[in-house]
Amino acid sequence: MADIAIDNPGGVVLLMGNEAIARGAIEAGIGVAAAYPGSPTSEIIPTIAAVAGKRKIHVEWSSNEKVATEVAAAASLAGIRSFAVMKQNGLNVASDFIVNLNMTGIGSAGMVIFVADDPGGMTSSNEQDSREVAKWFDNPLLEAQNAQEAKEMVTWGFELSEKVNLPVFLRGVTRLCYTRGNVALGKLPSGGEKKAFFPEIWDMYNPAKSRFTAGPSQVAHKNLHEKLKKARALFEDSPFNSYAGPENPELLIISSGVCTSYSLEAIEELDVADRVGALKLGTVWPMPEKLIEKRLLSTQKVLFVEETDPFIERSVMEFAAGRLPEMGGLAFYGKRSGHLAPFNEQSADLVIAALADILNIPLAPRDPGYRKKAEEAMALVPARPINMCAGCPHRATFWAVKNAIARDGRNGFVCGDIGCYSMAFAAPGFYQARTMHAMGSGIGMANGFGSLGDYGFDQPVLAVSGDSTFYHAALPALVNGIYNQSNFTLLILDNSATAMTGFQPHPGTGMLATGAPAPIVDMEGLCRSLGAEVRVCDPFDLEETTDAILAMMQKKSGARVIIMRHICQLLKAKRKIPGECKMRVDDEKCLGDSCGCDQLCTRIFGCPGLMWDGAAKKAVIDEAICVGCGLCADICPAGAIIREEARP
Amino acid sequence: MSGTKRGSRNLLEDVLKAGLCTGCGACVTGCPYMAIHEGRIVVLDRCTIEDGDCWRHCPRTPTDVSGFSEKTQGVPFDFLEPGAIIAVEMVRSVDAAVREKGQDGGVVTALLAFALDEGMIDSVVCSKKDAGGAPHGFVARTARELLECAGSSYEAAFTLEAFRKIPAGNADRLAVVGVGCQMEALAKMKAAAPVNGGNPQNVQLTVGLFCGWALRSDIFRPLLEEICDTSRIVKFDIPHSPGTSFDVYTKDAGKISIPLDDIRPAINPACQYCWDMTAEFADISAGSAGSSFHGWNTVITRTPRGAGLMKRAVAAGIIEIQPLPESRMTKLKASALNRKKNALRNLARKSGTREDLGYISGLPAGLVDALLKD
Repeated sequence: MADIAIDNPGGVVLLMGNEAIARGAIEAGIGVAAAYPGSPTSEIIPTIAAVAGKRKIHVEWSSNEKVATEVAAAASLAGIRSFAVMKQNGLNVASDFIVNLNMTGIGSAGMVIFVADDPGGMTSSNEQDSREVAKWFDNPLLEAQNAQEAKEMVTWGFELSEKVNLPVFLRGVTRLCYTRGNVALGKLPSGGEKKAFFPEIWDMYNPAKSRFTAGPSQVAHKNLHEKLKKARALFEDSPFNSYAGPENPELLIISSGVCTSYSLEAIEELDVADRVGALKLGTVWPMPEKLIEKRLLSTQKVLFVEETDPFIERSVMEFAAGRLPEMGGLAFYGKRSGHLAPFNEQSADLVIAALADILNIPLAPRDPGYRKKAEEAMALVPARPINMCAGCPHRATFWAVKNAIARDGRNGFVCGDIGCYSMAFAAPGFYQARTMHAMGSGIGMANGFGSLGDYGFDQPVLAVSGDSTFYHAALPALVNGIYNQSNFTLLILDNSATAMTGFQPHPGTGMLATGAPAPIVDMEGLCRSLGAEVRVCDPFDLEETTDAILAMMQKKSGARVIIMRHICQLLKAKRKIPGECKMRVDDEKCLGDSCGCDQLCTRIFGCPGLMWDGAAKKAVIDEAICVGCGLCADICPAGAIIREEARP
Repeated sequence: MSGTKRGSRNLLEDVLKAGLCTGCGACVTGCPYMAIHEGRIVVLDRCTIEDGDCWRHCPRTPTDVSGFSEKTQGVPFDFLEPGAIIAVEMVRSVDAAVREKGQDGGVVTALLAFALDEGMIDSVVCSKKDAGGAPHGFVARTARELLECAGSSYEAAFTLEAFRKIPAGNADRLAVVGVGCQMEALAKMKAAAPVNGGNPQNVQLTVGLFCGWALRSDIFRPLLEEICDTSRIVKFDIPHSPGTSFDVYTKDAGKISIPLDDIRPAINPACQYCWDMTAEFADISAGSAGSSFHGWNTVITRTPRGAGLMKRAVAAGIIEIQPLPESRMTKLKASALNRKKNALRNLARKSGTREDLGYISGLPAGLVDALLKD
């Protein structure tokens, strides 16, 4: 959308879920928005940042999600509505703060936290259900079905937050964030000047009084439960919950979020609208028990359709267990019964299969040859294994890492981390990453491995971190390693951007979320000041990089850092920086699949700019993809890949 | 004793991981999947070639020694004899400077310099010690360069890496200097030329070096660094008498003697499986074993080509010769045979049975039993 802050109440525009969420926050009159990039939420901050000046919103990419949430909370404490955004992993990072913020409550202005889960882990290292955190922390949580509702829920979330004095979660999933839909715009706030002020200033005659320091936790926790009761009462009549279907359905589907759409589609597809009722739950936690009770008493069978965990399913069953005399005869279907799975993504097809099984409806294919046709069509789709881009500096780094580890010969290994370079667990990074967990945890684990010397551990330990990850979560682990004298080498893969999520700036880039200039937090100087031995390499100098890694690996003690500095090729393309050279394969020299080569460039090195010509049995450059980085010329054993004149 | 077609995966399993690699350097050049690092062959990536030069040329893969003997030496292979023999003599360089720089009699350096000078060959593939005394494959084109290569390093020199690096189109007539395993690898290359680089048909002369064992640089180098500044090393020697010390000559400290037993842990364990003390597949083999006369080499002239060179070198006054006493000859033969027995014994111990002698196959069962009876 050209202008997310267009002032056209009632106008209908096509918005991506993430844009609608940004619009909802703008309509709510936020003054602060903060996040750390993470797919599927990464578009929200840039959308708000584009109108930050006009709407007087402080927008920032924070160094991590905990800081982002703290930045947002402070605004609330000073009377400014604030919005924090994160993916499911980010919620884990922020959670220690949130669970304490719940105890003190927020300030006079509302605070909404949008957290997006990624069922199926399409852009994530894990799969988790963030709704569990709302129950665990005692936080209100809403879940949106589509872009329109997401926008409305964000706006209403601020009202709710102010009514119950708690941060309010809005849960989305990848399909919500990235699906476009028609959105009817609401009114923009007048934008009157609001002064931020923190009211809990020190009163010398009553010095202990502040709402925002943790008081006796049993009192705070009691208050929190009172607040939840209030939220539950508000949820009972919420328009975000709705029922469609016969008054006494044979089967009741209870669903939330995008699963409501799948459920409605399944009912329509099976033509069972007269038999099946659909209860859509938008206010997921605390559960509106009266509404649930009313619907449970109207049926004998209940199917739960929700993304990832059986969250509503368990909550409802728990509630029903407390009403055994009235509800003892209910049959529950869902993840517990095995009709749906508590992992991977849900879909209309999965709901159709579950419904058909429960209702004994025979499911026949549309036509007998359908499966065969589908399989034939699938065969037309070329396999697209994950890969790093043509000319990606990470490929160069891991090539050097691989060769250094092999040369060293002491079973060295890499603790992987989160970013494009996560792909080092697979062929693009030559399978070099042997562990991969959370942001920064590769370095923490390297700390641990590097501390096992007393147990005879003698394998060299390498950890990798992206530049953005370094500021996010690697720093404490590096500090720990230096302090506790762990023995490892950290490779910071500095490609000048948070590349995997779309080139968001970070503290090392000299740019703010709005594009305005910022001071550069000097990674190299920082590491040196911590006491690490630091080297800076250009991974495209393979020989020097391999030697540097080897030399660092072979040191006997202490934490060492090598900064692998080379700009991301995509960023280079965005900035219209031309490739260094034009590449060509000399057919005469190319050894192809014979002894002495065995397709090293296409089979092992694997840059997508190289292709294997199966008929000619030679490598060829894919002109459309090659970016002219020239690295393949250095790995070709026959000198058959030639760098030609620099591109104009 | 031959015939299997295998690739680098098998080389990794059956030679490298099996502890049989001698560091001859035959496999590594021209292969991007392998590299030399600190005296070891390392495998960098997974190669799928199932009929590779690395396996074909490795002296520790099953070898048709009989076939090679007929082809390169002109005589059938006799496991009980130290190779084809035309003459065994005591030889030394007439030039004292060459003797000083080389090992014992300096014969190898003198002969090769002569062969370069008279035009028999254009260059010599040998090994040259770097500033720290560690050997690397090297191609010497002049007598002066050759003299820089004189003297034993006692480490695996990967000499054949340098040979393989010579482009296939190069027409230089070559001499190759190396120990037994390297001569075997070269014989294998002569039987089936490498796909790229190093044309074995250009090899006009092979000079073998007697070899008892080679040191592993990853163990030997740190040991050396403890006792001296390795950049000041001039020469290594194991004196014949009493034969219990390893002497390091340095520019500053003169001779530093290390007990030979302290050096033994650095011996490449793969050398215990080697049967070839006297480099049986060379034209001429030279060394000191069996000859305890200081300043002289024992030289086995094996082929007419080798004999021709010896004759011309004597005529030109480059080397001088005296007959090897009978007792020394007996001792040389006994040591060579003893080496073979040890290799067989160690291979049998490794596999757990005399039926499986690893890369040495095709020996008559009776012969093996006879050799191992004590």
